[in-house]
Amino acid sequence: MASGHTEGRRSGGSLDSLRHHTRLYFRLLGAQVRSQGAYRTSFLLDSLGTLLITAAEFAALALVLPRFGSLSGWTLGEVCLLYGLAELAFVLMDILFGGFDAPNLSGHVRSGSFSTFLLRPGPLPLQVFASDFALRRVARVVLAAAIAGYGLTHAGLSLNAETALLLLSSVLGMIAFFGALFVVGGTLTFWTVDSVEAMNVLTYGGRTLISYPMDIYGRALRRTFTFIIPAAFLSYFPVLRVLGRPLPDGLPDWAALLPLPVGLLALSAALSFFRFGVRHYQGTGT
Amino acid sequence: MTIHLPPVPQRHAGAAGSGAALYAAVARLGFRRPFAYPQAALWGVVTNAFFGLLRVSVLAALFGVRPQVAGYSVTDAVTYTALTQAFIVALALFGWTDFMRTIHRGEVGTDLLRPMNLLGFWAAQDAGRAAAQFVLRGLPMLLIFQVGAAFTGGGLHWPAGPLAWTQTILSAALAWACGFLFRFLVNCAAFWSPDAAGFGRFAWALLGLGCGFLMPLAFFPAWAQAALACTPFPSMLNTTVELWLGLRSGPGAWVALGTQLAWTAALLALTAFTLRRGLRRLEVAGG
Repeated sequence: MASGHTEGRRSGGSLDSLRHHTRLYFRLLGAQVRSQGAYRTSFLLDSLGTLLITAAEFAALALVLPRFGSLSGWTLGEVCLLYGLAELAFVLMDILFGGFDAPNLSGHVRSGSFSTFLLRPGPLPLQVFASDFALRRVARVVLAAAIAGYGLTHAGLSLNAETALLLLSSVLGMIAFFGALFVVGGTLTFWTVDSVEAMNVLTYGGRTLISYPMDIYGRALRRTFTFIIPAAFLSYFPVLRVLGRPLPDGLPDWAALLPLPVGLLALSAALSFFRFGVRHYQGTGT
Repeated sequence: MTIHLPPVPQRHAGAAGSGAALYAAVARLGFRRPFAYPQAALWGVVTNAFFGLLRVSVLAALFGVRPQVAGYSVTDAVTYTALTQAFIVALALFGWTDFMRTIHRGEVGTDLLRPMNLLGFWAAQDAGRAAAQFVLRGLPMLLIFQVGAAFTGGGLHWPAGPLAWTQTILSAALAWACGFLFRFLVNCAAFWSPDAAGFGRFAWALLGLGCGFLMPLAFFPAWAQAALACTPFPSMLNTTVELWLGLRSGPGAWVALGTQLAWTAALLALTAFTLRRGLRRLEVAGG
């Protein structure tokens, strides 16, 4: 899959190597796209099924909410904004970081193909990044964007540069943050596969948690996900700010501007952990 | 898995003498298997409890100060969440692809050599698996919710009286049967398609919405409820929850059970027919 002529180019300038690695990444993706497109009908059904998972979950909420009027004071449009942003970021993260997801990486570790990655002449993280690109998820991106778009137009907020920038940094922060959780979960499988379920609580649980306004949770739960696991900074606080509402727990207004730093901090810590894991990786003897 | 060399397995057929004992043995083995992975069950309970907490929060926020919506009180809504979280693994609400895999790998050929009906063999195995998962994950989940609700001064809604218990248990058994036949039918797609997983994903998403796993069906608008009433999906979970909560009682309870039975019979006929057609075109590569 990887091109064999990579060794000699490593020593080039950093810009050159960046260009080269970007090309290598897209090459690897291209190979996966081609293989997934081989069975047209099967691919279409698969995309539709993936799409329907999100659609069903969202429909359950959207069908029920009008009957109740609001979700603890949040209208359907406002909930859509939170829900759509979280879903959009999570799907994009899944497309980008899917290779690190524990079931995928532990599959490579157990089958021995992870050892193959180590032998190949490309950077290791880049190969893992490109090892599970599921094209079918692209359909979900469209749906998530549509839900977020409905929220943007129905939440009664003023669309200006600051709002746009804040929401963009929220999405990027979430991608980095949940990507970090995927990297940590994947790295843990170097030692044990039992951790997979536990990580699901943080990844899929975290996504579900931040898809709804966090004032619906008990104070203990909300504070845990603010001060111990800083998930509230990712989208809840920025959305509160664009809606012109105060932050809870006496937090200052500028705390709503932190999604990107929080996400990047988590991601850089997770990547260090991955490097630590690789140094202690012993292979399975396959 | 053991491979019986002679075409007629000597021990089972000889010692048992009847088919029923054979199916019972398969069900017993299916029951024992999940107990081999206690750690998986433990983490499963933790995960389900956490998601249960999030779902209860959403439902409670929806209720706000309303005491009752569509026949559900807040206690009912908490009980609904506890029940659906308790049944996830037992009723395989996130999907099931075991039979599909045996078709793709050709293992179905070995299964056909057994002196049993293929559908009956899988039904027995899945019944055992479902019972074990209910004991391992379902009962602890109900206990956790009962204790958690007690802390906030409430409790779960339990079936009232022996008749309600009997009807609920009957309904749970029918929900399993109906759901199993639907899952098996979806898995049969593997006879026709080299990649039935996508078809499965589509079907499991429909199941989650239609059976009332994501939200109680009573909360849906009338048109959505009417549309779902024409499908077997409510029989796979929602009916059991409504019987448990006493939302259907008296003659209504018997009508609900009759509907479940009718859908089970219809799915059985359809699944058996599809399986026969599928087996006719099956070709197992030699090795």
